[in-house]
Amino acid sequence: MQVGTASGCENPTSYYFNQRGIWLTYVLVIFLAHLFILSMPFFTTAIAWTLTNVLHDIAMFVILHVTRGTPYMLDDAGTARKETQWEQLDQGKQFTPTKKFLTIVPIVLFFLASFYTKYDKVHFVINASFCALSVIAKIPWFHGKRFFEINKW
Amino acid sequence: MSGLVDKSTMQTSFRFKLKKFLNVTNCSTKITNGYGQKHPKTSDWRKTWWESFEETPLYAAIWTYLGYGMLVIVGYIRDFLRDIGLETQKSCTEPKIPGFVPLYQSWENFYTRNLYRRVRDCWNRPVCSVAGAYVDVTERLTHDCGWNFELTDNFQHTMNFGSYNYLGFADNVGPCKDSVDKTCKRYGLSSCGSRQELGQLDIHHELEDLIAQFLGVEAAITVPMGFATNSMNMPCIAKKGSLILSDELNHASLVLGSRLTGSTIRTYKHCDMEDLERKLRTAIIEGQPRTHKAWKKIIIVIEGVYSMEGSIVCLPEVVRLKKKYKAYIYLDEAHSIGAIGPNGRGVVDYFNMSPSDIDIRMGTFTKSFGSAGGYIAGSKRLVNHLKCNSHSSIYSPVMPPPVAQQIITSMKIIMGLNGTDEGRRRILQLKDNIRYFRRRLHEMGFIIYGNKDSPVVPILIYYPSKTVAFSRECLKRGLATVVVGFPATSIIESRARICLSSAHTREMVDRALNIIDEVGNLLRIKYSNLAVPRWCEDDKNANDIL
Repeated sequence: MQVGTASGCENPTSYYFNQRGIWLTYVLVIFLAHLFILSMPFFTTAIAWTLTNVLHDIAMFVILHVTRGTPYMLDDAGTARKETQWEQLDQGKQFTPTKKFLTIVPIVLFFLASFYTKYDKVHFVINASFCALSVIAKIPWFHGKRFFEINKW
Repeated sequence: MSGLVDKSTMQTSFRFKLKKFLNVTNCSTKITNGYGQKHPKTSDWRKTWWESFEETPLYAAIWTYLGYGMLVIVGYIRDFLRDIGLETQKSCTEPKIPGFVPLYQSWENFYTRNLYRRVRDCWNRPVCSVAGAYVDVTERLTHDCGWNFELTDNFQHTMNFGSYNYLGFADNVGPCKDSVDKTCKRYGLSSCGSRQELGQLDIHHELEDLIAQFLGVEAAITVPMGFATNSMNMPCIAKKGSLILSDELNHASLVLGSRLTGSTIRTYKHCDMEDLERKLRTAIIEGQPRTHKAWKKIIIVIEGVYSMEGSIVCLPEVVRLKKKYKAYIYLDEAHSIGAIGPNGRGVVDYFNMSPSDIDIRMGTFTKSFGSAGGYIAGSKRLVNHLKCNSHSSIYSPVMPPPVAQQIITSMKIIMGLNGTDEGRRRILQLKDNIRYFRRRLHEMGFIIYGNKDSPVVPILIYYPSKTVAFSRECLKRGLATVVVGFPATSIIESRARICLSSAHTREMVDRALNIIDEVGNLLRIKYSNLAVPRWCEDDKNANDIL
């Protein structure tokens, strides 16, 4: 990408999730957000965990699967402009360590949320549906697919 | 083969990297005193080789990510305020015409608009004097946080540690300037013709012969633009069906030149000789991508000194691989010619190797000779081929005579052909400055990358805010430095890049070190956990590793 007169690698989005310390930062941010929600007096533990799970899944879905393009200008003649962030990670290669990690985190959060909500039915349905949304979007078959003309161009 | 990213892309620790490097030939894995004991021919260069690339401390990486995250959130908030009209829109926006597809995606400018613009005053600073050892930086004021600048009538006389001026020839007084004056009056400013259309003058012949003598090769050709030396000449030496193995941190001109050739390009990890050997073997075994025919030729493209990292390529290893696998070497000495080596002749001189080992030697005159343009040198056959087939011989005008004269005069000074030992003095002063500066920075506790002999010193400052603060604070105290951040380096490796010069006296270097020490304490960027190395200016205790 080019800023001013400095130019760097092809697409920073494809490799910055592999760098040192970013996985830890991601988990740390989730943990801090959870602590914040937990500290609200009017939320029970069950609601706090469900909220964390749901908000995390919505946020990651929007960040990774809805936002397309890059926040910086690239020299790649517009190829990255139509791809979501998930599709740009590791330049489209599947089953990389980053992608595996990002698939596992919502699942682990779902397990934790189920445990702390004591396997209540309503909470389960909510948590499971959002976890499913998150995980299904990351399945390799969905790479490049667009439904109902959303995000097509 | 699964799509797993292999282990070598994960950053390995410094100790592991150093161990791997010193034992390239599969000897014992214990760290010994500089070289593998079971290696049959111990070359001398390993005894004095030292470089370090200390890894980013984990807490600095995490805080850097959080810092960028905070900047992104604030950027979104500001963009939202601009959209709804609470804040004035200062950039040029596209008119929204109904029925028309938008031309630009405004999110693409997010980084430039919200991050780069706010700290724009650290880059592209206008100067009003020659950029020698001292430079006058004009004062710029911005009243709206970087959208618009206003020049005042003041300027600041600062020490220049940001220009590529390794041997101090970037000056407007002295023997170079006098000879260039005479040449201007004699030849004019340009010969206005390309090499193949009678543009070549006797001064160009003299220059090319001098370059060939300087490098110890048969012949050389010059190109008036340094970038174009790579991009216009590489297509002549490789075509479809060849393989180019280039280091992952090669300069944009080499990347563009490699792409224009039409050959297959594979990159190997920076200065990782094992990766290079692995890729060479795989390429030779498998052949061309679909047909599996043998490659027409294999070219290894390396740079002498990598200006972003400060590393020096380990040329003996590359030459050993080249001879073993019958490849060619294209060596780009943009930063190393004049600056490295006991006689200033570049990396080949630094390792005391024979010039005929390198097939194509390229370099530029911008850094050490105070001039412009580049050269390619090698055998007479190569140079004749380039003279007939290169884009620069056909379409671009030749080097302007005054520019050529500057190179001739400065090169003669370096070689000692003008009768004085000024060249010798400059080379020794530069080497002294490099060792002293690097040793003092290691002692102060900064993380710096690179070889102990490299004239480019990157000081690592990981946080975006601290990088900018370093630049501003140093300027306030009278030291002009260059900082590089996210687009040109990876997110967690922002740095200040200091370029040393023989025009810097010991007193100037001391003053600069004091300023850097003060700013380093103020910003708390002394991250190093490494033991202080024990080499010094005269190599007495060279290479006592950890």
